[in-house]
Amino acid sequence: MTEFSIHKVWIVAKREYLERVRTRSFILSTFATPLLMGSFLILPALISASAARGIVRDSERPARVVIASDNRALAELVSGELMRQRGTRYEPSVVSPAAPAEHEQLDRQLDAGDIEGYVWLDGPARASRHVVFATGRMGDFILQRRLGDALSYAFAADRMVKQGSSAGDVAATLQPVDLTAVRAGKSSSMYNAVRGAAVVLLLMFVMLFSLLSYGVMVMRSVMEEKHSRITEVLLCAASAQELMTGKILGTGSVGLTQIAVWFTIAAFGASRSLYLRTAMTALDVGPSLIVYFVVFYILGYLLYSAIFAGVGAIFNSIDEAQQWNFVIILPLIAASAMILPVATASDSAIAVVVSLFPFCSPILMFERLAVHDPPLWQLALSLLLLVATIGAAMFISGRIYRTGILMYGKRPTIRELSRWLRHA
Amino acid sequence: MTPTVELLRVRKSYGGFTAVDDLSFEIPPAHIFGLLGPNGAGKTSTIRMMIGITAPDSGCVRLFGEPFRRRALRRVGYLPEERGLYRRMTVGDNLVFLGRLAGLSVATSRERIDAWARRLEIADWIDRRVDELSKGMQQKIQFMAALLHDPGLIVMDEPFAGLDPLNTMQLKDVLVGLRAAGKSILFSTHRMDQVEKLCDSICLIDRGKSVLQGSLSAIKARNGRRFVQIDYEGDGGCLAGNPLIDSLNDYGNHAEIRLKSGADSQELLRTAMRGLRVIRFQVMDPSLEQIFIDRIAGRDD
Repeated sequence: MTEFSIHKVWIVAKREYLERVRTRSFILSTFATPLLMGSFLILPALISASAARGIVRDSERPARVVIASDNRALAELVSGELMRQRGTRYEPSVVSPAAPAEHEQLDRQLDAGDIEGYVWLDGPARASRHVVFATGRMGDFILQRRLGDALSYAFAADRMVKQGSSAGDVAATLQPVDLTAVRAGKSSSMYNAVRGAAVVLLLMFVMLFSLLSYGVMVMRSVMEEKHSRITEVLLCAASAQELMTGKILGTGSVGLTQIAVWFTIAAFGASRSLYLRTAMTALDVGPSLIVYFVVFYILGYLLYSAIFAGVGAIFNSIDEAQQWNFVIILPLIAASAMILPVATASDSAIAVVVSLFPFCSPILMFERLAVHDPPLWQLALSLLLLVATIGAAMFISGRIYRTGILMYGKRPTIRELSRWLRHA
Repeated sequence: MTPTVELLRVRKSYGGFTAVDDLSFEIPPAHIFGLLGPNGAGKTSTIRMMIGITAPDSGCVRLFGEPFRRRALRRVGYLPEERGLYRRMTVGDNLVFLGRLAGLSVATSRERIDAWARRLEIADWIDRRVDELSKGMQQKIQFMAALLHDPGLIVMDEPFAGLDPLNTMQLKDVLVGLRAAGKSILFSTHRMDQVEKLCDSICLIDRGKSVLQGSLSAIKARNGRRFVQIDYEGDGGCLAGNPLIDSLNDYGNHAEIRLKSGADSQELLRTAMRGLRVIRFQVMDPSLEQIFIDRIAGRDD
């Protein structure tokens, strides 16, 4: 019973592939996911961009902000700085001196919607550098941040002027620093932390989601064949190893097809959307990263699908397998929890260890490759460990599979399982 | 002639439970063989070892005159007891897949599917999905699937389950035709009436052990010809007390008699003719069902 026919594996894999690719759920998830993802990526950018351009402002008029202070020079500095901000139109006005009566007046204007907000820069506020901005637009973070910047600038400038600095001196000293991050070793590509992280996160989410859903698909498929006794007919024509291999390869090809479609759509999107393109060039999403992704995806899938195939052969229904499912996906959950720590400290001892651990490495070693080049030996070691673990998982699952698919009814005990392993 | 199937002292246990215990039988070519037994007797376990799904713990299985090898399975067609088709695929796709797995090309598969579909009058169903079919219809499809690669040995687990009389007749004709073409057919069942009509020989197993086996006529002969029915005119009282008779049921002009073992029914006829006007005298074959029940129920628990 040792003969192993690639031809039969191919027939089994092809059937598995065609059956899954033709399902409505496959077509839906393949084409709806990028749409959803795209809208998650692009909508916030669109909204903040249009907010910056003032498009979503209720009346398209500049935001009117009142700066009330006894110190007119300070108030003028705030106002001037706010006007200088790029991109957004603000219409600051200064009220000075600021009597308590003005306070009530401003509240009334705010209520009536005549102004968007005011800051009350009285003595205590200036001394404590703690300023209150009364506004009806709590959600306008851009306005709040810019106002904060303007206030910080004004406080510093005011102080410098009092200490005798010239206006030019003040401007030169307080000119903001323009920070641009450049990825180490790849000076040609600009690294934009926020956008780059979004793309890596997206890729890792795709990997996680795909490993999980296609692994579970293998399990369901095994259970279905077991349940419908098709396995018995198939075993008459092909060996258990051929069936398991075919099933894993066929289902895996479905996953790869889906990812290929997603990459194609992303590439198309990048050719159309400036935002996606900058995000991708920012992170150097070039051929090498895609190769890494595909390699780690395939290896991760082989590992998890082998385990899921074995579990599918043990149990008779999805419900029964539920608890064990949790144990299997635990490393994946742990890996997803490690995504952020690994991103921030890519070369820390913990990051190295988890990216070598075969059940997490498909995700975490890929992440390290994406954000920072790890030493070659670590990459090699993680691949080696992963491949060895896949071999072991395939061997164990294969033995459980060929006995399990013919066992109906009662769930086997651990002792029975170990017997299946020893002499199947 | 080399037997198509030989089982030699085959034994299989699962954990502490012995499913098949020291079982031997053989099936010659052009022969229909019935594997009988109550539920859980070890029929399915036996079949599984015959077709290499599991390996026996001891003993050996020979197919087509050679020790079991997977290659031999190319000449075996198997029909499991239930379902055994992909529900979400069309009938045609299912059959082509199974045909290809059995070593046929796509074109040959399609050709044979068409031929069988016409013969079994299901050509209209080929493009339908399996889950749209009735249970009986699925059974016919599976029947086709088992025969597609023209196997020399056909193994069927309850082939007539869920079929109406018309379809049963159709499949029975196919089986008889296959036997005439030299194929060996094994089917397992607990439906005795079908076995009696179809089988050349049987093996009755209970708790993994063979209880009774051989050709059907020999088994019936061995188990009796001990039942006699007589329609008569005259006084039936002359039969009472006859030393040949084990038990007597007299209805006045009809008597049902069980002979003592070893008694000759011709002797009884002569005795009866002396005292009565015999209108009908019939030696009844025991039904297989009767033998089955006697054997299985008579076991010591």
